[in-house]
Amino acid sequence: MADFFLRSGRGLVTVMAVFWLVFLVAPIVVTLASSFTSSTYLTFPPPGWSVRWYLSAFESEWVWSTFWNSVVIAVVSTAIAVALGIAAARVLARHRFYGRGLFEYAVLSPLIIPGVVVGFALLNVSVLIEAQDAGLLNLIIGHTMVTTPFTLRAVWSSMAGNDISLEEAAQSLGATRWSAFWLIVFPLIVPGIVAGAIIAFTFSFNDVTISAFLSAREARTLPVELMSHIEYLPDPTPAAVSSLMIIITLAFFLLVERTVGLGVFADR
Amino acid sequence: MKAGRFPASLATPVLLAFAVFIVAPCVMLLVKGLEPTAETGEWPDFTNVLGVFDSKVGQQALNRTIRISLIVTAVCMLAGYPVALFIARCAPRWRGLLLAVVIFPFLISAVVRAFGWTVLLGDSGLANKGLIALGLIERPIALVQNEIGIIVGETHLLMPYMILSLLAVLQRIDPNLRHAAESLGASPVSVFWRIVVPLTLPGLLTGTLLVFSLAMTAFATPFLLGGGRTPILTTLLYDYAFTLFDWRLAAAIGIVLLILGILFVTIHRFVSSRGMRSYG
Repeated sequence: MADFFLRSGRGLVTVMAVFWLVFLVAPIVVTLASSFTSSTYLTFPPPGWSVRWYLSAFESEWVWSTFWNSVVIAVVSTAIAVALGIAAARVLARHRFYGRGLFEYAVLSPLIIPGVVVGFALLNVSVLIEAQDAGLLNLIIGHTMVTTPFTLRAVWSSMAGNDISLEEAAQSLGATRWSAFWLIVFPLIVPGIVAGAIIAFTFSFNDVTISAFLSAREARTLPVELMSHIEYLPDPTPAAVSSLMIIITLAFFLLVERTVGLGVFADR
Repeated sequence: MKAGRFPASLATPVLLAFAVFIVAPCVMLLVKGLEPTAETGEWPDFTNVLGVFDSKVGQQALNRTIRISLIVTAVCMLAGYPVALFIARCAPRWRGLLLAVVIFPFLISAVVRAFGWTVLLGDSGLANKGLIALGLIERPIALVQNEIGIIVGETHLLMPYMILSLLAVLQRIDPNLRHAAESLGASPVSVFWRIVVPLTLPGLLTGTLLVFSLAMTAFATPFLLGGGRTPILTTLLYDYAFTLFDWRLAAAIGIVLLILGILFVTIHRFVSSRGMRSYG
């Protein structure tokens, strides 16, 4: 009897798990497959196969201009977020002072504040100071602020196990504070920096919420532009663009898996 | 380490950035949302914020937000549990692949995922074809541009958080506990209900809070899958900001969302610190 329960229970769990795992990959697989359709409208499964929508995507001006905007925003905001993240992680890992808790709350606050609020609040300020046309700058600022908590956490956790006496030994042997940091601390936190940078870059490159509020006419990101094309164009070009974004994300995902492991995503 | 000097050279640039680009904008949002509606009114005027709960549109959006978030959380719980159990007990070489299947979708842009769902849930999509083939419906039913679309999309968006929260606690369960219970004569069913379930409750709780709060504040997924006629709080904020150009009302909704965000984190902190204490 117990055996029967065990087997049927396990069988039920397996069936349910497989169903939901398929559910998780379904929209991704369907997007990839339908982008290779030969027809002028979207259906799944496609009636025939072709790469014409990829050619159409590569020829579209909007794809290239917004792609470069997204790359520039992601690279610059990731670089600043990494710098802020290292400084903040160092403060939190090495210093005890009054107001440390408040400092931690401030730096992690973008995780608490909903994205629409951050986006709209920044837009409101940029309109007040008449800077709403500086789209790229606004987007970089917004993305930097919301990705800094990610870089902070990744760097902070890589600092956690480090022995402070190593740094003190270097300093007592004549190293300056800077050279002790660069020669001792920095090499030890490189994995955290890489992980944080990849998470920040992926977040920025894929973000819609903040970008939907801060995109100006001249500075739109690829996901935001893609969103308006999905809304209005019944043409498979967005499917090809979506598939290209999936492939770019997959490249980053494999990079993380091979270098620092998937644990960085699991410990959020 | 005891309390020391404030590390000014490191902390100042960071604090300055957050003060200027996060705190100040949020304060300005508060100022905007509490601006007096009438010419003669005085600041702060709570009419707009209360109006979110009073007006028909606001009330509908609030109710819809809560309803959708509750459904999404329930589905994530019921779906995430078997997936987490399955991953926790499968062979290590499969575990990596299955973990990748769980984590990869949540790195993909919400726009791309919503796009996939519009194809799947459309009138000629696989979901409708499947339901017709099963004989459950006769002609295609609307699965996107309504609440169903939002629920499916948000479930897909948030289920990984639930699975990962559950896996974190499942992997910490000592297998000896199960063996001990079994050797003392417990049936697999009672091992599950009396050992596995109680030990995973903290993970279930953190997952639930995380999924519910993220469901309340999701934007891109409901925007793309919900269409114009089913606004929730976040998409209503966007509508007020960009279609109706009523920034006072948009800011008022922002204030409500901000309060909800802070509320959930406070509950989360409280629950997880208690969870830590009782489960070591």
